[in-house]
Amino acid sequence: MKKQLLILPSIFFLLILLVFFYLLMIDRNPSELPSTLLDKNVPKFETESLLKEEKFVSSEVFGKEITLVNFFATWCKPCRDEHSYIKRFSNQEGIKVIGINYKDNTQKAIGWLKELGNPYSHVAVDKKGRIAIDWGVYGIPETFIINSKGIIKYRQAGPVTKKIYKKINLIISKIE
Amino acid sequence: MMTKNFLSTKIFILIIAICLTQFFSENSYGVDPDEILQDHKQELRARNISKNIRCMICQNQSIDESNAPLAKDLRILIRNKIKEGKNNEEIYKFLTDRYGDFILLKPPLKLSTLALWLLPFIFFIVGVFVVFWHNKKSKKF
Amino acid sequence: MAPYLGNFALWLSLCFAVFQFINSSIKNNNSILQFNKIAVNGLLFCSLVSFFSLMYSHVVSDFSLINVFQNSHTTKPLLYKISGVWGNHEGSMLLWILVLTIFNFFIFKLYNQTNSKFVSKVLETQALITVGFVLFTILTSNPFERMDVVQTNGLGFNPILQDPALAIHPPLLYIGYVGFSAAFSMSIATLSLGNNEKILWYSYMKPFVIAAWTFLTIGIALGSVWAYYELGWGGWWFWDPVENASFMPWLLGTALLHSLITVEKKKSLQSWVLLLSILAFLLSVVGTFLVRSGILTSIHTFALDPSRGIYILAFTAILGGYSLILFGLKSKKHFNNSYFSFFSKEGSILVNNILMVVVCASVFLGTIYPLLVEAFTNNKISVGEPYYNTTVVPIMIPAILVMGIGPMLSWGREDKSKIFKKIFPSILLTAIITIFIFLFYQTYSFIGIVGILLAFWIISNSVIILFRKKENLSNGMIIAHLGIGLLILGITGSSVWQEEKITQMKIGNETNIQEYNIILKEINEIKGPNYLALQGNFFVYDKNKNIIAKLKPENRFYPIRNNFTTEASIHTNLLRDLYIVLGEGNLNDGWVVRIYYNPLVIWIWIGALTIFLGGIVSMNSNLKKLQRLS
Repeated sequence: MKKQLLILPSIFFLLILLVFFYLLMIDRNPSELPSTLLDKNVPKFETESLLKEEKFVSSEVFGKEITLVNFFATWCKPCRDEHSYIKRFSNQEGIKVIGINYKDNTQKAIGWLKELGNPYSHVAVDKKGRIAIDWGVYGIPETFIINSKGIIKYRQAGPVTKKIYKKINLIISKIE
Repeated sequence: MMTKNFLSTKIFILIIAICLTQFFSENSYGVDPDEILQDHKQELRARNISKNIRCMICQNQSIDESNAPLAKDLRILIRNKIKEGKNNEEIYKFLTDRYGDFILLKPPLKLSTLALWLLPFIFFIVGVFVVFWHNKKSKKF
Repeated sequence: MAPYLGNFALWLSLCFAVFQFINSSIKNNNSILQFNKIAVNGLLFCSLVSFFSLMYSHVVSDFSLINVFQNSHTTKPLLYKISGVWGNHEGSMLLWILVLTIFNFFIFKLYNQTNSKFVSKVLETQALITVGFVLFTILTSNPFERMDVVQTNGLGFNPILQDPALAIHPPLLYIGYVGFSAAFSMSIATLSLGNNEKILWYSYMKPFVIAAWTFLTIGIALGSVWAYYELGWGGWWFWDPVENASFMPWLLGTALLHSLITVEKKKSLQSWVLLLSILAFLLSVVGTFLVRSGILTSIHTFALDPSRGIYILAFTAILGGYSLILFGLKSKKHFNNSYFSFFSKEGSILVNNILMVVVCASVFLGTIYPLLVEAFTNNKISVGEPYYNTTVVPIMIPAILVMGIGPMLSWGREDKSKIFKKIFPSILLTAIITIFIFLFYQTYSFIGIVGILLAFWIISNSVIILFRKKENLSNGMIIAHLGIGLLILGITGSSVWQEEKITQMKIGNETNIQEYNIILKEINEIKGPNYLALQGNFFVYDKNKNIIAKLKPENRFYPIRNNFTTEASIHTNLLRDLYIVLGEGNLNDGWVVRIYYNPLVIWIWIGALTIFLGGIVSMNSNLKKLQRLS
């Protein structure tokens, strides 16, 4: 009986190492968080539009076609870096790109979009960051993929890079 | 020459001071005076809840300690909810609905964390057993 | 020139390590000693050359090396250029290797007429470990890699890491981990011994374990010192995975140390020693894995690289699998059947062992649980301070109680009637001191009372033992135990009775905390060697209107790295720390000021230092004994 007990530490040890090995092999980012909103409806919200007179009402904007939602701000350097990819998304057929301007100076944001080009069909203003909290945003930029029924399908935390651009397109092609 | 240097340094520092409010600093500050609630009991509740909420951008800090913009927003949100009359469970649920269990520094008690909470206790019991078993054996001698 | 030399020396050290391994493993090798002498000295020399080549490159700011470019800058003060050598992943591996070769040298010194087989086996295992580390460094983390395009200056260094405590913290920790590697190798050697070979393996192990534990203690303490003085809100322990990674070997090391004493005196607990020394080192290596593999992020983690992780994992698997299976198969003959009473010194040590292992297991569980949850569900959870406070702290309480009684008990069996007589003086002393303190301070809290009781329980016991002198107890032990008592005092004071004041202050405003009056006199701009800062000048007055301190917290801006830090300003005395942090603000609205009143903090550092001194005293007396042995 005793001898079997003594072998236990080694078995236990090797099991734990297996778990570590598994975690190393899969494609994961240790500082990235899974979104709790996946497969749920887009949070309802109503706020000002950046560039239009009429209000931004979420129920009117989502639920029609595949939509990307991009949280951005002028003071955020990675947002500037990813902007060309956001523009590319907006040029693609069948997707709509919505921007949410996070805790920013409205005038600056308008100028920023003028300077870099506006990829968004609508831009919502999130002055206090409350909308972002409702989306579980923890650092900008963040980009969400919404399907045509208004369900959140994917969340990308951090800027869109070439690799991520391809990934998002792949995901879009797979959802209805 | 010296005055010019001094003046430009002064301006530079002033700019820094302004920038400090924009950039995320690597260090924590914590609760600001303008956030503190009038009701002392409510403020204490807010502090205790905040101490259990992880700052998502920092490493190993609660939102109570951090000066990250998101930490500040969440602190204010918690205080507003306390003022609205929400209880602690509702506030925690609000946050975990949006950020997941990761935002809690004290892991919740669920099926997946059962082992986490029970095992230390089991370890201790096993330890006590080992001592008693040893004691029994020593009594023979 | 230096980088080429350093790289060459690194490769050469690999050769020497392999040579040492092969040489030590050959049976019936008559020249084993002579060749090992070559190997050991060669290894030491090569690692010294390699390490100092890298240091030279850092000091002269040779930016052709990627390592120097990424981590240094011409404006960095010399002290931090030097400590910057091991403040990054690749350089720290060279330090690991250097410490390994130094300990390797000391193990070689153990050779005498009778122990050739044993020491050779130890050197064989150590050689294998060294090969593992050197190969890892060469393959995945070579500090001598060159830049494609040489820049004129480097990327600077994180300013928070430019701190003396943090500079010395890694070398001390590595002495701890490598010391445990020596104990590990000795366990392997012991388990591999034939049945008729009698060697006092535990006596050889003891000085290494004491050294390892002592330096690990001070290494961990300095990490906390840095956190307290540098990070800005008076915290000094965060249950960060990497902190836990150093704490777990410490816990097992404590149990190991006490078990070794028992083995020496009474031959019991041998299998405990063997298992604990294996686990202590394995946990040290797992700790290395957690920091460098990219499996989790933490302030402490170095650059993330999965290939490094896979290598270390494989290395750990081989080392751990082999050692634990060997333990499973061969430890039976070390089971000693001389049982002892629960009420004896061995009994207390056994209880301590179990409690240390339980705490270690809980800390391990808390640290890896988020990884387990992530692997098996799609969820991420976090395990923070509240978890450890609930699970670890309560278990420490019986451990500390036993710690007070243990040293007073006799070996083998203690007369139960005598126990009370022995511990009565300390109970009395503890009670009197505690009551006195609370009558004086009148701030009650359950956990506070428990903490103070426990602290003075240990302090009283240590003081009484010191005066008794009739017990043949080692001075080192008494000093180290006293240190723990002081540590508990500091931890209790600063955790339970910390006060915080947050307020907005303009120049000329005043505020108070406890019995102090604090006035913001001025805000200055100052220039440091590689930073610009906004500095607040606070005058602190006591209740008699005497000025007791001028505190100057700063908000610094480092242009090279483009980041900001806050430097707290602290006034310390034996009873409390006054800690001021300057927040944001401007001339018109004033500044956010955070003031902390932290009671008894200095006793944490005094306690840790005392434990360290106790360890040094023990090492010293133990080395004398070892000399007599050889």
